[in-house]
Amino acid sequence: MQGSEFDETEFFRAIAASGARALLIGRRALVALGIPVLTADYDFWLHTDDIAAFNEAVEPQGLIPTRTPDEARGRGRYVLENDERVDVLVARTVPTVDGVRVSFEDVWSRRRNLEVAVGIAVAVPALDDLILTKRFGGRPKDLEDIRLLEALRKEDA
Amino acid sequence: MKGSSPVDPATQERVRALSQRQLSPEEVRAALAVPLGESEEEESRSLIRWFRRRYPTPGDRLAYARRAYLRWTAARPRP
Repeated sequence: MQGSEFDETEFFRAIAASGARALLIGRRALVALGIPVLTADYDFWLHTDDIAAFNEAVEPQGLIPTRTPDEARGRGRYVLENDERVDVLVARTVPTVDGVRVSFEDVWSRRRNLEVAVGIAVAVPALDDLILTKRFGGRPKDLEDIRLLEALRKEDA
Repeated sequence: MKGSSPVDPATQERVRALSQRQLSPEEVRAALAVPLGESEEEESRSLIRWFRRRYPTPGDRLAYARRAYLRWTAARPRP
């Protein structure tokens, strides 16, 4: 894998500059907040109206969407990929595995911005919302991540 | 991983499958109901404190994660 060719700072800059309402979720968000976990890909939760803007922003990095915006809206998710992989969730609401409905608009309204380079910010969900997104999957690794996020909450209290 | 034996690809795949399997709502509720133990909490918080001290900014941490993943993929045995 030639991951070194990927310019992560430019990737985040382009997303921020596009105006797309995109939340970094998944393990990459845990890392940005201060939890050292291993991850291969990037996970975003994107407003359903902003698929084209997001795709256009990351196209210079060679990231190719696997579905058209309409197909992605229909399925609720798609992937952008080359040597890197970006999983994108595009549903307005997503249920957790234990039945809580989580709305993008609500999570977006509570987001926090993390500066990843001078003048470049990435939006991540508030801690409670990030924990809820980890309940979308309901896999053992998600539950491990929730426990780490709970430890982070106590550390920041 | 110093001093450890390489894990064979079949074992890696079994571990991956176990960590990725879909849990039932009941399993999730049961897991979420278990509070952090004292030693688990301290160990996790210690790890977080180290990571934030060593990599003070979100950008530093994200860059570290990319390096760590590339090191891991380079070191793991090929199927």
